[in-house]
Amino acid sequence: MEWLFFFEVSLAGLGFGALYALTAVAFVVIYKATRVINLAMGEMLMFGAYLFFGFAAGMALPVWLALVLALLGGALLGLGLERIVIRPLLGENPISVFMVTIGLSSVLVGLVEIIWTATPRSLPDFLPSDPIFIGDAFVAPKTFWSFVIAAVVIGVFLVLFRFWRGGVALRATASDQGAAYAMGINVPAVYSLSWGLAGMLAAGAGILLGSVAGISSEMGVFGLTVLVVVIVGGLDSVLGALVAGLFIGWVESLAGVYLGGEYEHLMTFIILMVVLLLRPWGLFGTREIERL
Amino acid sequence: MSMKIRTSRLLFGVASGLALGGLVSGTALAQDQETTVGAGAGEEDAIVIGGSIPMTGVFAFAGLAFNEGMRDFVSWVNEEHGGVNGRKFRYVGQDTGYDVDESVGVFQRITSREDVDFYFGDSTAFSQTINSELNRRDILMTGASFASELNNPEEYPLQFLLGPDYTEQVGILLDYIADEQPGARVAFVHSDTEFGRDPIAASQERAEELGLEVVETLVTPPGASDISGATLSLRRARPDYTIFHGYVLAPIPDFIERSRQMGMETKFMGTYYSMDQTIIDEMGEAADGFMGVMPYRYYYDQEAPDTEILGAIHDMHDEYKPTMYIQAWLAGVLLREIAQETLDAGKELTGSNMRETLDSMENIDTGGIIGVPVTYRGSSIPVGRIYRADMDEGRMVPVSDWIELE
Repeated sequence: MEWLFFFEVSLAGLGFGALYALTAVAFVVIYKATRVINLAMGEMLMFGAYLFFGFAAGMALPVWLALVLALLGGALLGLGLERIVIRPLLGENPISVFMVTIGLSSVLVGLVEIIWTATPRSLPDFLPSDPIFIGDAFVAPKTFWSFVIAAVVIGVFLVLFRFWRGGVALRATASDQGAAYAMGINVPAVYSLSWGLAGMLAAGAGILLGSVAGISSEMGVFGLTVLVVVIVGGLDSVLGALVAGLFIGWVESLAGVYLGGEYEHLMTFIILMVVLLLRPWGLFGTREIERL
Repeated sequence: MSMKIRTSRLLFGVASGLALGGLVSGTALAQDQETTVGAGAGEEDAIVIGGSIPMTGVFAFAGLAFNEGMRDFVSWVNEEHGGVNGRKFRYVGQDTGYDVDESVGVFQRITSREDVDFYFGDSTAFSQTINSELNRRDILMTGASFASELNNPEEYPLQFLLGPDYTEQVGILLDYIADEQPGARVAFVHSDTEFGRDPIAASQERAEELGLEVVETLVTPPGASDISGATLSLRRARPDYTIFHGYVLAPIPDFIERSRQMGMETKFMGTYYSMDQTIIDEMGEAADGFMGVMPYRYYYDQEAPDTEILGAIHDMHDEYKPTMYIQAWLAGVLLREIAQETLDAGKELTGSNMRETLDSMENIDTGGIIGVPVTYRGSSIPVGRIYRADMDEGRMVPVSDWIELE
């Protein structure tokens, strides 16, 4: 019985960890292609969730259409931010760009509060609600389906990243920008592509997170844990984002149940400290020094 | 040379980041967002109510209701009663964005240009921060917070609460449970915030005193977080009643939904700030049967007799008004009573004089807002009633009489 409980708690943690992983992948895509540490990721995620809320609840569109529009809106947001705010600053001191992304996060929170007010909301239910059992272990349907969706999205993304022309261009730019230019790759377009993709992934993660935990203008704080995930996994490693996302989700869930909810984030930051002391470049990251 | 350019661009980047942040987060906008109603600024004997009101930010849903309630009260009391002894009320409220520094700034601005008699605060942190300043300026204050810590006339002599403090709110729930199901198994679920922790330790003791069994106390981290593990722990504890505190909406609906999916039959309860009809509506289906403590009558309360205040509110508004709106009216009604009695006793409207008046008042008639006459004990009114969400009727219905703690 104890083991069954442990198993259930672990499954719950992995389910939530998938959302960390999904958002972390968006973070890594931007970092790999443009070397920008985007602290507005949590707020981009929030904006995507609110777009879905606006389309599905506000305009009462069918859920599938709201979903598509919110994902497109997320992508457009990413593209717009890159073109208007980030590109003029590329090549500048990383701390300038870093600070601008902090400012951006504030702007996005403000926008959401102006458009939708800061009143806490629930997203319309769109995930199946029949209880799921794996063996004897109960998994909350929202957790299960958000895990499945996150896994499929990440899978599709990995395939694109590996085989699609745009994905190859993205990887080429990430490994050597000069060489990519020389080979005729349109590097500015790759920048746009990475922000657009990340915007879409973040919107998707926001919708899933919102359906699990509700939406509010404060939900961007989720991005802080994701930042820990990408630092632990390695800022430029997609594999690192996946592994660290699941791992931190699992540890938080265990800490919450066996130590108490007040220890969840404590454990997350202890992991961060240990990793920073032993492997500052992350578990799977490239070993190089980024000075901020 | 190039170093210079880099530095200036760096500064530009930093400055533009900060500027973008400042633009929307509110300091520039906040100062403009002021509500003034009632007696003119020039009227010397006006009774002035100042307010640090969160009209933007995460607490705006409550702040906007406070602001409207206070505004309506002042218009009503001036028109219907000519104020108090011919002295008209004036209300000046400014937006704080629910930020303590801004709340203090608003307090300083309003009190420096107006001769403020009463003040309305927006948070526990503000109440704590401004306490010594209130004492120095001798201003009486009430507000949005029900923090147990504030219910202490020695530490906070010039502050009083608009109902039961959080410990008393949970106390009222526990009284109800002990009455309904003696020896029931109770679980607490609270957020890991000052707000969430407030009543927990005292309530655990109180539950034991009432012969209830506290089977679990769960803490959830602040912000959008995963509650899967917590719901599994809750299932293991098999409580008859689960009391939430320290939340407005999330994660309550999710908790209820998951517990039902696991076949649990626990009854869920909440405290004041998760009990407004607009919040219950957001909970959707999950809200059915959700219970909680409410110190005031709801706007639509059909049991309410035809009383002066609820009647006045209905005359002004055909549509639902949130409980925070009613709360602001209660503040107004109490301030009027306090001012009336203080002036009748031939005293000036200083904070200490009015506090003496408040302490001497008994069986105050709140004009129907609270169903029984109330007397302050300490700095709170330990009275409330249990309501249950009835989804068929689409509203909260009372399931207990008014409960007054001993």
